[in-house]
Amino acid sequence: MSIMELNGGSVIAMVGKDCVAIASDLRLGNQALGISSNYQRIFPVTDRVYVGLPGLATDVTTLRERFRYRVNMYTIKEEREIEPETFAHLVSSTLYEHRFGPYFIEPVMAGLSKTPSGGYKPFIAATDLIGCLNFAKDFVVAGTASAKLFGVAEGLWEPDLEAEDLFETISQTLLNAVDRDAYSGWGAIVHVITKDKIITRTLKARMD
Amino acid sequence: MARRYDSRTTIFSPEGRLYQIEYAMEAISHAGTVLGVLAKDGVVLAAEKRVTGKLLDLSSAKEGGGYGGSGEKMFLLNSNVIAGVAGITSDANSLVNFARTVAQQHLMQYNDDIPVELLAQRLCDMKQGYTQFGGLRPFGVSLLYAGYDPHYHFQLYHSDPSGNYSGWKATCIGANNGTAQSLLKQEYKDDIGVEEAIGLVLRVMSKTMDSTTLGSEKLEFAVLTYDEVAKAPKAKIYKPAEIDALLRAQGLAKKDEDTEMKS
Amino acid sequence: METSFALTGKGYVIVAADTTAARSIVKMKVDQDKIKDLSPHLLMAYSGEPGDTVQFAEFVERNIRLYQIRNLYPLRPAAAASWIRRSLAESLRSRKPYSVNLLLGGYDTSLHTPNLYWVDYLGTVVEVPFAAHGYGSYFALSLLDRYHDPEASLEEGLATLKRCIDEVSKRLVIDPGKYKVKVVDKDGIREVEI
Repeated sequence: MSIMELNGGSVIAMVGKDCVAIASDLRLGNQALGISSNYQRIFPVTDRVYVGLPGLATDVTTLRERFRYRVNMYTIKEEREIEPETFAHLVSSTLYEHRFGPYFIEPVMAGLSKTPSGGYKPFIAATDLIGCLNFAKDFVVAGTASAKLFGVAEGLWEPDLEAEDLFETISQTLLNAVDRDAYSGWGAIVHVITKDKIITRTLKARMD
Repeated sequence: MARRYDSRTTIFSPEGRLYQIEYAMEAISHAGTVLGVLAKDGVVLAAEKRVTGKLLDLSSAKEGGGYGGSGEKMFLLNSNVIAGVAGITSDANSLVNFARTVAQQHLMQYNDDIPVELLAQRLCDMKQGYTQFGGLRPFGVSLLYAGYDPHYHFQLYHSDPSGNYSGWKATCIGANNGTAQSLLKQEYKDDIGVEEAIGLVLRVMSKTMDSTTLGSEKLEFAVLTYDEVAKAPKAKIYKPAEIDALLRAQGLAKKDEDTEMKS
Repeated sequence: METSFALTGKGYVIVAADTTAARSIVKMKVDQDKIKDLSPHLLMAYSGEPGDTVQFAEFVERNIRLYQIRNLYPLRPAAAASWIRRSLAESLRSRKPYSVNLLLGGYDTSLHTPNLYWVDYLGTVVEVPFAAHGYGSYFALSLLDRYHDPEASLEEGLATLKRCIDEVSKRLVIDPGKYKVKVVDKDGIREVEI
């Protein structure tokens, strides 16, 4: 039994046209026993950057609190909001600090980064549990259902999806992938981030 | 005779005084004024800048991460506390940095914004340490803390180099603080609202500041209120343009000198 | 193995824990109180490694009380849960971690809501409408899924709790026997007979 599979849970992020989406399931379990069907593992970092933390639940909370600390200090000192790429490197360095006693989390990040012309570019990234960054152009997945998520996402994703279509695509990807995984599921939540607003929707999922 | 006792902070004089601390307070009485007023729905802080002039480069002043950005005298310590500092600027920066880490540590432990008094206490405990151990000089800074927490709502505290602090309804530190304090004593009313407090602060500042008229080059301004919609405290450090607009609205703006000459 | 349950209702949290202190096949004590009163509106039921349990529970109790004495007002349940979780998370990666599972039930007097947190020895915390620890949880949780009502009155809540206790008595090989049941609401903490 791997530590990464103790609590269960999966996260996916996808790139669309001038938007990004990040979604996760809501299950928290203790091996086969389900404890909560409302466990949040995606957190807002700024108005335009979200991070999903699948893996060991105690480290989910610890990392969320540590990132909040570091991002708050950054915002107060730099006097501006942190950009997604910078945040990704912050995540990577935080995890590498514990290279030989790591946090059992594989973070997934999604956001909109400012371009020099003043517009916004979609951004997604993921790291492994010791901070190796992966800047994908299409989608990133992590968690107990990651293999299944890869499969469905590869089939359903296409470039330049509008916000509403991206929502449908990421929802179907998540729902169908977690249904094949015993340790993920019990509800799902999706955040779609555009330059004006963030729409959060809880999906009606199979509760078995 | 006093000479033998004031070179070390950790020593009392024969009269029972700690000279280094008194000298630190003397340094602060030459610094730019900082004024704070507690209202029933907010706290207002204003400060006089000392580092000004045409050659000062302010072009890199950024958006401020949602709260306005700090200046020479005003600093955001946490989302629920703004500090106004008077004294040696570099000492102040060091204390502000310490306060910010303390506030984040508390957030990490308790998942809750640090109560204002607790933050003031932590800073004061540190300042007191510098009057008793280590043989290092005290911090030459006095701070005003304007904050909100769910227990005691809006609060205003003042701490000095000795590490002592107290809560105030209205107070002033830095140059001319005596004048300002007596003006506040006359004009302050217990159930003052934040709008009135802004007016009171600006009027008292205009009477105590060295310069003849108020303007954003010499004035820093901040307000802490509570956002009912977001259900969270809202800290705002005013940008120069906003300060000028506020002064115009209050009728305290600098008059256009050319027009004056013509009429 | 120690069993504990907790459930929330309209303005209250019920926390129950068995009262057996056993070592191997022997019941050393049958009236052990495994629920600590941390503050006027916060209860904590603990279970796990013998020794670690009482040590950690008292460590938490004293530190929560210290905060209250130093700062004039008690920690709200959410803030206390966060502090307790952090203590466990730090202990986890130390030389010898505490092996203690907790159920934290409290009433937030400023927000006027009941709060219940399931905490395990790793420092996992999740706010739940009902919870259980121990072998008894395998029987109780499904019953609570079916019969729990977040708006139930105290009598109805206690009846639901009785269902769980009876089921565990019926089906678990080692019947814990007696339980201590405590309730926390706006008026504070009190013990009830079930």
